[in-house]
Amino acid sequence: MTSTNYDPRILKAPHPVPGAPDNWKRFFSFNTDAKVIGIQYIATSLFFLLVGGLLAMIVRGELITPPADLVDPSVYNGLYTMHGTVMLFLFLFPILNGFNNLLIPTMIGAPDMAFPKLNAAAFWLVPVFATVLMGSFFAPGGPASSGWWSYPPMSLQNPLGHFINGEFLWILAVALSGISSIMGAVNFVTTIIRMRAPGMGFFKMPVYVWTAWAAQTIQLVGLPALTGGAVMLLFDLSFGTSFFRPEGGGDPVLFQHFFWFYSHPAVYVLVLPVFGIFSELFPVYARKPLFGYRFVALASFGITFLSLIVWAHHMFYTGTPNWMRHIFMFTTMLIAVPTGVKVFAWLGTLWQGNLRLNTPMLFCLGGLFNFIFAGITGVMLATVPIDIHVGNTYFVVAHFHYVIFNTIAFGVFAGIYHWFPKFTGRMYYEGLGKVHFALTFIGATLNWLPLHWAGLLGMPRRVASYDPEFAIWNVIASIGAFMLGVASIPFILNMVSSWARGPQAPPNPWRAIGLEWLLPSPPPAENFEDDIPTVISEPYGYGLGHPLVEDEEFYVRRSQEA
Amino acid sequence: MTTTAPKNGPNIGAILIISIAVAINLVIAKLMATWSYSWFPPQASSAAAYVDDLFALETGIGSFIFFGCTGVMGWVLLFNRAGKYDESDGAPIEGNTKLEIIWTIIPLVTVFAIAAYTMNVNMKLQTLGPKHKYAIGSDPTTLVSVDPSADIGPIDVIARQWSWEFVYPSGVRSSELHLPIDQRVNLRLISEDVLHSFYVPAFRLKQDIIPGSIISYSLTPTKEGRFRLRDAMFSGAYFSQNQTDVIVESEQTYDGWLKATAKQPLRPGLDPGRPLYDRRLSRGDKGWATVPPAPAPMVNDPGDPSLPHDA
Amino acid sequence: MTSVNPDLKLNHTPGHVKHDGHNMTGFVIFLCSESVIFLAFFAGYAVLKLTAPQWLPDGVEGLEVRMPLINSVVLVSSSFVAYLAERYLHKGNLWGFRAVWLLTMAMGSYFVFGQYIEWSELSFSLSSGVFGGLFYLLTGFHGLHVITGIGLMGLMLARSFVPGNYDKGEMGVAAVSLFWHFVDVIWILLFLLIYVWQ
Ligand code: HEA
Ligand code: HEA
Ligand code: CUA
Ligand SMILES: [Cu+2]
Repeated sequence: MTSTNYDPRILKAPHPVPGAPDNWKRFFSFNTDAKVIGIQYIATSLFFLLVGGLLAMIVRGELITPPADLVDPSVYNGLYTMHGTVMLFLFLFPILNGFNNLLIPTMIGAPDMAFPKLNAAAFWLVPVFATVLMGSFFAPGGPASSGWWSYPPMSLQNPLGHFINGEFLWILAVALSGISSIMGAVNFVTTIIRMRAPGMGFFKMPVYVWTAWAAQTIQLVGLPALTGGAVMLLFDLSFGTSFFRPEGGGDPVLFQHFFWFYSHPAVYVLVLPVFGIFSELFPVYARKPLFGYRFVALASFGITFLSLIVWAHHMFYTGTPNWMRHIFMFTTMLIAVPTGVKVFAWLGTLWQGNLRLNTPMLFCLGGLFNFIFAGITGVMLATVPIDIHVGNTYFVVAHFHYVIFNTIAFGVFAGIYHWFPKFTGRMYYEGLGKVHFALTFIGATLNWLPLHWAGLLGMPRRVASYDPEFAIWNVIASIGAFMLGVASIPFILNMVSSWARGPQAPPNPWRAIGLEWLLPSPPPAENFEDDIPTVISEPYGYGLGHPLVEDEEFYVRRSQEA
Repeated sequence: MTTTAPKNGPNIGAILIISIAVAINLVIAKLMATWSYSWFPPQASSAAAYVDDLFALETGIGSFIFFGCTGVMGWVLLFNRAGKYDESDGAPIEGNTKLEIIWTIIPLVTVFAIAAYTMNVNMKLQTLGPKHKYAIGSDPTTLVSVDPSADIGPIDVIARQWSWEFVYPSGVRSSELHLPIDQRVNLRLISEDVLHSFYVPAFRLKQDIIPGSIISYSLTPTKEGRFRLRDAMFSGAYFSQNQTDVIVESEQTYDGWLKATAKQPLRPGLDPGRPLYDRRLSRGDKGWATVPPAPAPMVNDPGDPSLPHDA
Repeated sequence: MTSVNPDLKLNHTPGHVKHDGHNMTGFVIFLCSESVIFLAFFAGYAVLKLTAPQWLPDGVEGLEVRMPLINSVVLVSSSFVAYLAERYLHKGNLWGFRAVWLLTMAMGSYFVFGQYIEWSELSFSLSSGVFGGLFYLLTGFHGLHVITGIGLMGLMLARSFVPGNYDKGEMGVAAVSLFWHFVDVIWILLFLLIYVWQ
């Protein structure tokens, strides 16, 4: 063992110390270092990706044949409800907060988050509500089974009459998740507003920071509305009120407004940071500046604003009057404009670039490809008469998995590979990465493309059994889904083995421009500590030949010596 | 697309390539739009053609955008790849304000045009009538005035966990919905427990049914046949079973059916969740909690679920 | 490579001290966000009041306004009193601050007490239809905020006895008093919604 000559204090240090062996115990402690918290978030959420994926495998197993044969229909309902909930609240939200923790301070040159303790507390709420949610599998009567929307009055039925039931635990978990997210959002926004490096005006911030800021703003405005709705639902379920119970004069549709007022914008909370990842990665691997940086940055807030005024497009067929449908159709379609600005800017960035197709770039390209498709089906859904036909069918399920898995998860994978060397100090294995990409891309396409047709033909979602004419699409989909399950093997293998024994990573393996690449890999606890660089250029100066910060050579040299 | 033009004037070659690409893309978009009609069940109501046309239009526009964008991606993948040891940077283009304004305006105009056109279509469809809230326990059917433009009705559509019941003005009760072709029919949608949705894919129509509210809804079937009616708003354990058929028939057949059915005694109607629930009970009530199915509706015509449906 | 970097800062407190600004920024952001919960409840109240087939529970005529009005006047004036306390603190008059701050707390407590009396005299309960539920939800949720505010003020009062506590500014007091104003503004809206709009 070579670690004998270390100062024992180093081994106990609460954060990585360059050159010292890694003290993995810090990942299991109440650590306030944003980089440790970031990795805690990411590792936890990847675990829940497996859990959510396992549930999805059972769902797809049930759906490979028309009758409800694998599991009882009541069990099926619980499975897909928990699948949706786990994927959103335990995989996507936490993993993106993980990225925020790793990237925001390093990209803006801050030593840490504005409120490190609050940050750690927000993370440690994740295992708490994860336990509550997973515990609901053992609640009397099983977990919540009314879909991730939890629409009353169905969600209030509580057949066994126990006070502690699946739905109760589900609401509790969602509320705790909301509290954790608000804590995170306050922290991220404060950090971005107050802790940027000298010289880093808003229009010198990397686009990832812009998108994170735009996304967290949505959290701040939207989440409280959902929390309000959830509290009312809980009172209806457990304390005898009747806000949403028609028997007591309540209105079930009111809940839908509360729910979608948040849960629609929430999808942009998820996709915006991925737009940020695309905007960071395309320039690096195309070796070109981001096309129209300012437009791309500002478009993020265009999306934030529009996202808050479109929610009723999930309610076109609930009895919403025509004038309201029309307003919401217009606002929804408008989102195509700022989104289009981003998409075209990425294409402009690729154009005449010098493309390097390593794993992160492949995932980005695949994600963009899928996103354009998904956005177009989104616009179709916004078209009222079309939505009236395909709403609540597999067309919707296919649309949103095209964004949520085929775009967002792709972006997340791209981000993981891209920043893996920076934050673990190790290189990943390119070959395994490419296998992972190929399996994922093919599996995802097989899984979700055919289901659009099932939806157009009228196959409702949330069904444990279906008419035989839909079988063919479902068989292909299930095969694709199982391929996705297999794809997780090279990924896990890659992550675990590279982190344990991958080659040492240099500070800037991709020759990328950005403050985080001026730090050693992995960065020390306080990032730049006391000499925070002064930013003098816009980000993404590829091929422009001007330095990003004053005394750039000093920082480069320091990062290499560490 | 953007910068093939060198500093000195337009580049004929580039313009030619772009024009050919756009032309090919237009052809593909047109083909996709035409093809899209075959992705639907048959058109069996007056709304269906509108929906399919709109969908074809958007498939065309969408395909043009999709293949246009992915075409650019394909192009750079083919021609702009860095060689193995090529560490050089690409062309340092930072943006192009004119271009950016163009690609803001074009989508803006496109979506406005689509939305305006859709609004127009939507006004023509006019299926959704007024919705009235009522206190559970009172009789809601007094609340909704009949759609004056309807030829027949109102037929009460009653959804339950997990069965359908249709009550005709003459008092006839049925488990399947019989409708005469080419007549505008007025329905009153009623739920006694949770949310359901009246969805007939061949009609391209769907409307949620909300407990505590009664909704007036009108439609015109235009094709004879037996079509699937599916509950499309999740309603609990046996949601997927909650289906029945709509039978669109000629006026004579319809009248004959009404008369003949009126003479039938009331008996338990379709109750598709029941067999699964009984199976569950016989296996020791294993599974996760569910409310028991509502009692089967008492109807004059219980229907025949074994008959094959057209869509 | 196994050498120890001699100037490692191991037991450091993060090398940035000027944090008060962050705290206030964060707190203001939090309050903005928090206000949306109330907005959601208010919107729910308005929608249900306008559309419910039966609004007031059987046998309930409406709410008595006089007592709640007195209560409201006390609560709202306490905002000005809190401001006065802040002025004292700013001028360095610690005892003045403590006295007036305590008065604010007393006024807040009076409000909570008045609310308790009102609740105990009402003829309807949480489960009396939509109105009953909304009434208790809104006033209860607001009441929780008042109680939290009083608790925080107590904390600030206790802290004022820590020597040197205000050397680096009065952030805590400023934040609590901001919270208190927030709670008051919410109450005004709530009062208009529940008692005036009957
Ligand atoms: C997670 C991310 C995410 C994203 C980014 C989107 C993006 C969009 N979504 Fe999607 N959506 C979901 C996740 C997402 N969605 C989920 C989870 C659901 C279902 C929830 C549930 O029911 O359980 C859903 C459901 C859903 C519905 C409800 C369907 C129903 O239930 O009946 C609708 C309807 O309008 C819709 C529309 C849109 C639109 C218009 C966009 C737009 O933002 C897309 C904009 C992008 C583009 C258009 C492509 C790029 C643009 C260009 C290349 C410019 C040129 C384009 C044109 C001129 C058209 N979505
Ligand atoms: C982030 C969000 C997210 C993600 C990533 C996914 C990913 C997947 N989902 Fe998704 N899904 C939702 C969010 C998501 N889903 C939501 C919100 C709903 C709606 C719920 C509702 O209606 O209420 C839904 C609904 C939904 C349905 C519809 C159910 C129904 O309506 O009846 C289906 C059916 O095919 C499905 C399948 C899948 C599949 C096959 C994947 C695949 O992409 C998953 C791929 C899997 C992996 C990558 C992990 C592989 C792991 C293993 C194979 C297990 C190994 C295990 C261990 C080692 C422990 N999902
Ligand atoms: Cu935190 Cu400076
Ligand atoms: Cu939406």
